[in-house]
Amino acid sequence: MAYLRIDRLVKSYDGRVNAVDDVILDIARGEFLTLLGPSGSGKTTTLMMIAGFEEPTRGAIELAGEDLTRRKPYERNIGVVFQNYALFPHMTVARNVAFPLRMRRFPRAQQATRVGQMLRLVGLADYADRYPRELSGGQQQRVALARGLVFNPDVLLLDEPLGALDKSLREQMQVELKRIHREVGVTMVYVTHDQTEAMTMSDRIAVFNRGRLEQVAPPLEVYHRPRTRFVGEFIGDSNFFRGTVDPARWGRVELDGLGPIQADPEACRRIGGGLVDVLVRPERLQLAGPALPNTIAMKIAVTVNYGDSVLVIGDAGGHPIRVRMAGAPLDSVREGATVTVSWSPTDAHLIPHV
Amino acid sequence: MAPLILALLAALFLIAPILIVVPMSFSTAISFQFPPPAYWIGYYRKFFTSEEWLEPALNSLVIALGAMALTMLLVVPAAFGYVRYRFRGKSLVNLLIMSPLIVPHVVSALAYYGFLGRFKLAGTHLGVIVAHGVLAVPVAFLVITATLKGFDRNLERAAMSAGAGPLRTFVHVTLPVLRPGMLVGALFAFLSSFNEAVVALFIAGRGAVTLPKKMYESIRLESDPVIAVVSTLLVSAVVLGVLASLVIRRRPALRPDA
Repeated sequence: MAYLRIDRLVKSYDGRVNAVDDVILDIARGEFLTLLGPSGSGKTTTLMMIAGFEEPTRGAIELAGEDLTRRKPYERNIGVVFQNYALFPHMTVARNVAFPLRMRRFPRAQQATRVGQMLRLVGLADYADRYPRELSGGQQQRVALARGLVFNPDVLLLDEPLGALDKSLREQMQVELKRIHREVGVTMVYVTHDQTEAMTMSDRIAVFNRGRLEQVAPPLEVYHRPRTRFVGEFIGDSNFFRGTVDPARWGRVELDGLGPIQADPEACRRIGGGLVDVLVRPERLQLAGPALPNTIAMKIAVTVNYGDSVLVIGDAGGHPIRVRMAGAPLDSVREGATVTVSWSPTDAHLIPHV
Repeated sequence: MAPLILALLAALFLIAPILIVVPMSFSTAISFQFPPPAYWIGYYRKFFTSEEWLEPALNSLVIALGAMALTMLLVVPAAFGYVRYRFRGKSLVNLLIMSPLIVPHVVSALAYYGFLGRFKLAGTHLGVIVAHGVLAVPVAFLVITATLKGFDRNLERAAMSAGAGPLRTFVHVTLPVLRPGMLVGALFAFLSSFNEAVVALFIAGRGAVTLPKKMYESIRLESDPVIAVVSTLLVSAVVLGVLASLVIRRRPALRPDA
């Protein structure tokens, strides 16, 4: 049952190019949905339309069955957290958090209680009387989060909220955000261009490209079964081969320049023959152990040791191939050596070529 | 070290001629004389007790406050429109707003003389306020557009999603955040009117004599050392004003939310 419903949303600034192009999205109550995509893909514009800061050119936005499309931002019950925090510099932390309650005319006594609760929720109970500029970036973002949540919004929108923080703080805040999502249970729509963030936090990910929605699915499905080549390349590390599904024998795919491989017959039947892009994730390729049904000979060009894993980049008849192995590299894995790469038929994901 | 010495020398070069009026204002001489033969504060007493000097001082104050108000009324909406919207002829508008800075004051003065005379405003406070209010537009516009360009519009968005309509967003967020810039703009407008002499000479007539005009006339007729007193006070006022603007800018967010 959809709670926040985005129906055929279009936004065009100049009347020619659509920044957001026919986006359809159903978001469930309490869901953590991430809008993921490169810059300029329309994810932020979509968020701004949900918030009411931008007016859609066409389409509708509904919340719990009510049409929000033409409603002003202050007539919606939606909280927003911005990348640059957007805290009011002339107000203390407590007054920043109390601001939505003042504007919504909550009773005074209730205001103080709510502000206290929210500051405890984000771990800033001792900072109520500080000014924003006296806080670190991470602390400021917590205040912004408290301000966005304090009035019990129907939805909380987050526009790259961790984008301005450094890596370790970002990871810490990801965990924190998930905890707050669990505790508060509010529906969250989260915009990011960082795929790791999307993978670790979301219930579902909506992948945007050039204003269009490419796929909406849970993180693992987006990772293992991308609907388009763009999604497969944007999320995670990938090997893509061009091939042709043999309509005479479901399960046989002829890779361009690399020969035949076995694939999932069911997937082949669904696609029904023709050109396909074959995706094999680097960690699913094997360099050691008993060879799996699909094999390719590869000359190793470079090995990159990350300590906990090794990335092997090689070349198979002009195709670059990336293999990720857990642990330390074997003796046979040296730059310049020729090795056999193998994978199991179920680890190849087929995408109809367009 | 050398750059510091150079800077101090340059500052001295700029300030020294002005500072000469300070000892002269405490002089006992009956006319301008430097160095003064002896010191006393008699001319200060004269300034603060004579109607002849206090009235222009009061006129200047009233006119500068009026001009400041007029300038702000013109500049604040113009600055919002100029910074926040795209429209045809924007650079032309900018040129027009800046034109009081480019046109020689004598020319402006002559134009105002004819224009205000037609409306029977020559020689009135209102006439000088109108002229000074317009003359101060460029400076205030520069200061306020600069502040506005640095304003993060996400603050307004945050306020709106918090439930504040356009008016409350402006009152509770936009205005307080922009207040330091607005104050500096207003201060400059005030000083620009308070110090203005050329236009005042032409249009103030007998009815709205300002301090600079009175000083000019006094120099021509009698070289009264009270002028040194007034100069000292004016320079102090300007220095205080500039210091105030520095303080306002340095501490943008210290004032509590109204």
